[in-house]
Amino acid sequence: MPLIDARNVSKVFGDGQGENTTALDDFNLVVVEKEFVSIIGPSGCGKSTFLLLLAGLELVTSGDLLLDGQPVNGPDPGHAIVFQEYLLFPWRTVWKNIEFGPEVRGAPKNKRAEVVSKYIKLVGLEGVEGRYPHELSGGMKQRVAIARALANEPKVILMDEPFGSLDALTRENMQVELLRIWQENRCTVIFVTHSIEEAVFLSDRLVVMGTHPGRVKKIFPIPFPRPRKREIISSADFVALAAGVKGLILEEEK
Amino acid sequence: MKRGNVISPIALFGIWELVGRLELVDPLFLPAPTAILAEAWSLARSGELFIHIGVSLYRVGMGYGMGALVGVSLGILMGWSKRLEEYLDPLIEMIRPISPLALLPLMILWFGMGDGSKVIIIFKASLFPVLLNTIAGVKGVDIKLIQAAQTLGANPGQVFRRVVLPASLPTILTGLRISTALAMLAIVGVEMLAAESGLGYLLVEAEHVFDTPKMFVGLLVLGALGYLWDRLARVAQNRILVWHKETTLEGKI
Repeated sequence: MPLIDARNVSKVFGDGQGENTTALDDFNLVVVEKEFVSIIGPSGCGKSTFLLLLAGLELVTSGDLLLDGQPVNGPDPGHAIVFQEYLLFPWRTVWKNIEFGPEVRGAPKNKRAEVVSKYIKLVGLEGVEGRYPHELSGGMKQRVAIARALANEPKVILMDEPFGSLDALTRENMQVELLRIWQENRCTVIFVTHSIEEAVFLSDRLVVMGTHPGRVKKIFPIPFPRPRKREIISSADFVALAAGVKGLILEEEK
Repeated sequence: MKRGNVISPIALFGIWELVGRLELVDPLFLPAPTAILAEAWSLARSGELFIHIGVSLYRVGMGYGMGALVGVSLGILMGWSKRLEEYLDPLIEMIRPISPLALLPLMILWFGMGDGSKVIIIFKASLFPVLLNTIAGVKGVDIKLIQAAQTLGANPGQVFRRVVLPASLPTILTGLRISTALAMLAIVGVEMLAAESGLGYLLVEAEHVFDTPKMFVGLLVLGALGYLWDRLARVAQNRILVWHKETTLEGKI
């Protein structure tokens, strides 16, 4: 059974004055468990809208959006989201931020401590548990956000341009880190990005979306074996694949 | 304390003392600081000063406490519910511009000359900064922060306690601090107009008998109390908001 099953999903936003915008139209996508799927497309193609729908923060206008066979009808710790802006709680330390999910779900204290230290270790934040978010670099903040999402042990983790505000070097570093974390943790990842290179490097499959209205244009399987090293991005196969994706997106932007 | 903090008062008192000793100005209008201190000492020894301070602080404390309590709780409700805000906003904007002292005759009629009428007026003076800041604080919480909490499994009650409250706390505390000063302003006015005790009364009483040093004692005590109260509020604010101070301009200065 597929983990995520989007069938003919449409999302229309009304501005309350009769003006409607179709963000997604007849969107179809099936994702199996433990898959890493990236979504890429020009601005306004509805890729972030699809994530908000999956996160339960917006509801579908028509069509079916099933997660684990159940329709998504609200936020749920089983589908965690990581935002570009981190959205850490500034009054909580790193530790307390990561603890937030298990805490509100009523996990006992010793279980919480176990989970938090496991994910602090996984994302490489040992030694900064007691710091506040403003004392951290962008890359570290995003590590906290990832650990906070993972601490709920979600089936799927939704990432909305998570590395979009990081500098180039940190970004590359975080991509490698994310693959390592994913490999160790093996949850399903839906990853929205603007970067073709990032999407090809990370994913099992790459969904290219088109605009007006937002829909799936083409899905590329990414055949490179795992674990992947950063070096593959300069291989001929990688460059050719990325160029193909780029051509498709450029065609859409015309 | 920085050196700049003491230079200006010392200079002021030095010149003032000189003017007083040389009687450049009639002491009836401007007694020397030492004469004022002597008066303060005798007022303190007789216990009179502390009775007045105690009475004033009691009234301010009660009125301010009620204002803070009502302001924060009502402000949270109004910030949370747009409907309630729409209902109550016209009423609030009508009552808010009325000077607290303007209510005095009516309050005396309703609650008599005792502490009740004074406490109500302090309450009125303290309420609005707390209320408006709390509403603004709650309404200003980043919706995405709330969404982040929801996706992590927080129910509405938990979102409220663990996200909305801490996120609006800096603004709420600012309102609470502004109100301390307004409460002090109001108590003096009320006690000058209608009281038999308190620091405001002390000032009026001194005026009646041309006791200028006593007037200055009253003013000094009011200044000192206001200053202490504000320092206390600031220390509390910084303690509670370690995370906030360092993420804002305040932490850089």
